[in-house]
Amino acid sequence: MRRDLRGALLLLLTAAVQSSSMSAPGKPVLLSCRSPEKETFTCWWEPGSDGGLPTTHHLYYERERLEGTYECPDYLSAGRNSCFFDKNHTSIWVDYYLTVMASNALGNATSDPFKMDVMEIVKPDAPENVTLQVEEREASPCLNVRWMPPSNTDTKSGWVTIKYELRVNKDNSNNWKEYTSGTQTHFSLYSVSPGGVYTVQVRCLLDHGSWSEWSNTTFVKISNYLQNERPLSMLISILSAILFIMAGLILIAKRKSVKQWVLPPVPGPKIRGITSQLLQSGGSDDVGNALIIKQSFPPIYFVWEDQMEDYLIVTENEDWLSSISQKRKKSLIPACFHFDSEIHSKKLCGFSETCGKRNVKHVDYSRVKEVKGDNVLFLEKEKVQSSGYMDFQRQEGIPEDYSRVKEVESDNLVVLQKQNAADMSCKDEGNHYTDCALHKPRKPVCTELSDSGYVDTIPAPPLM
Amino acid sequence: MPGTIRSVSLVWVVLLVCLSSRRTSVGAAPICTNGQVGCHVLSLDNLFDRVIQHSARMHGISSDLHSEFEQYFLPSKNQIGRLGRICHTSTIITPNGKENAQRMAREQLTEVILKLLIAWRDPLWHFHQSMAHHHDFNNFSSNKALEMNDMVHELRQGVEKVAEKMQVLGIISNSVTSLASPEVLLPSDSADWRLMKDYDLLYCFRRDSNKVQNYLKILKCRIVPDHGC
Repeated sequence: MRRDLRGALLLLLTAAVQSSSMSAPGKPVLLSCRSPEKETFTCWWEPGSDGGLPTTHHLYYERERLEGTYECPDYLSAGRNSCFFDKNHTSIWVDYYLTVMASNALGNATSDPFKMDVMEIVKPDAPENVTLQVEEREASPCLNVRWMPPSNTDTKSGWVTIKYELRVNKDNSNNWKEYTSGTQTHFSLYSVSPGGVYTVQVRCLLDHGSWSEWSNTTFVKISNYLQNERPLSMLISILSAILFIMAGLILIAKRKSVKQWVLPPVPGPKIRGITSQLLQSGGSDDVGNALIIKQSFPPIYFVWEDQMEDYLIVTENEDWLSSISQKRKKSLIPACFHFDSEIHSKKLCGFSETCGKRNVKHVDYSRVKEVKGDNVLFLEKEKVQSSGYMDFQRQEGIPEDYSRVKEVESDNLVVLQKQNAADMSCKDEGNHYTDCALHKPRKPVCTELSDSGYVDTIPAPPLM
Repeated sequence: MPGTIRSVSLVWVVLLVCLSSRRTSVGAAPICTNGQVGCHVLSLDNLFDRVIQHSARMHGISSDLHSEFEQYFLPSKNQIGRLGRICHTSTIITPNGKENAQRMAREQLTEVILKLLIAWRDPLWHFHQSMAHHHDFNNFSSNKALEMNDMVHELRQGVEKVAEKMQVLGIISNSVTSLASPEVLLPSDSADWRLMKDYDLLYCFRRDSNKVQNYLKILKCRIVPDHGC
């Protein structure tokens, strides 16, 4: 009977053991520790398998500069599988070595040691009491955010320095905009527009630790207060549009006068006697006449009858003679005269009424004393009118004589004797010789005349 | 005329320079007491702010270097060298909590700060030298080490100035000995730091720089509480 009982019990036990597979507990793992204000801290662990039996966990710690091993002072305040170290048990700047031991009826299991220093595990609670206030102003509304530091943190003693950050989103989008607030517990947002729902969250940081979690969301809807003023603004805009259109119409109607006022025409030059019609219709003579008659130029008459075509060379420079003699072979008629006087005379000729006519009106051949060659005239006494062609000095009061003529070379060359340059004066003939510039010592320009009548210039040797 | 104008303006410039320099020199030499008018010294809270900023930067650099070292050497976090790592400054008694720090007398706290700063003068110099010779580290780390070394020096001078000012203002008694002979404050077994490895040295300095920063802040909020505490 007893044997049967014992055997039955044994069977029962083995059956029981086999069915539940109880064992010693698995190794727990220390997860993390956290200090919210640098004065206390909490550590959490993860238990391993419990081996089917009721398992208890114990946390033991050793501390730098403290002899011995101690057990967790408070398993309850921070919830399951946690250990809370209060102020009396918390020291900063010292290393803690923590281990958790799981134990049940069948055995123990110890976690790996976890080393920590309170300085490294600081993470504050989220800020509290976040309030939003809409400040309505004419131009744009602004949002004032206010909050409180977490209640367990002592920010007054200088033990911790707290910094804040906030983020805002509009209309529940996922697009958050972040702002840093420093140490102040209020912030103003200016980039808000009416009609939107704004959500704000705040978080904080202590010294060099980790950021806290974001606070609970607070949101506010900014009213669309512009709607009340809409009729008025619409009226104003309509009126101004009407005014603008009217002004535009008036401008278009009077565009010519406006154009004149804005862009006044530039006055053209006005010459008395010359009008655009005259310029278009009349010939050059008419224009010239108009200019001559109307303007108050001193009239200039130059009659260059005889010597226009034939050029007479008068020179004192004997050296030049030789050079000229060499050129005799060419059928060129070199002539030396004041270039500008030649031009002058040509110009003046253009204006003179009588000049155009090359006909020799009053040719007086009574004075001709001798004729040498084709174009050399020896005149008795008279003045030679074409003073422009000849480069010589005239002296007032002295009867013209050709006593100075030293030599006559070739067909058109007269060599004069050198004379002092002492008395020089302009002879004002009755024919209104113009400017004494003609007599001024100037470097004459010698020209080479070809038969065709074109004048080329070669620099002349000084004749004075 | 332009020559005389130039000389006159030069004279004015020289005068102005002399006056301004005289002003600053007057400000630096004797410390004004509370009653004097027309002194251009920095106020105590201003001095405190500067010193605290300085210490914050120093701690930041030491943290950076420490994490860089951790990347290089990857010491296992659970190396239980419980008795292995002892900082050479552990002989200096430092308050390890808020209440302890608040309870400590001002003179004592100031002395603790100065002791810490003096104790790190030589080890940081040698650390910088060893870093400069090791080719594993880049120039960036070497510069940080040098900067750290300089900052300890400057911070110590700053704290001495603050202590001096506090003494003049009568806030603390004249019992702060460090100002007279700093070598007195060196820990007796100061040769220990030569046995420490670089990583341990950085770990200890990171901790001590945090201590200095916190103690300075506590001091400031005790002595001049109104300015941003």
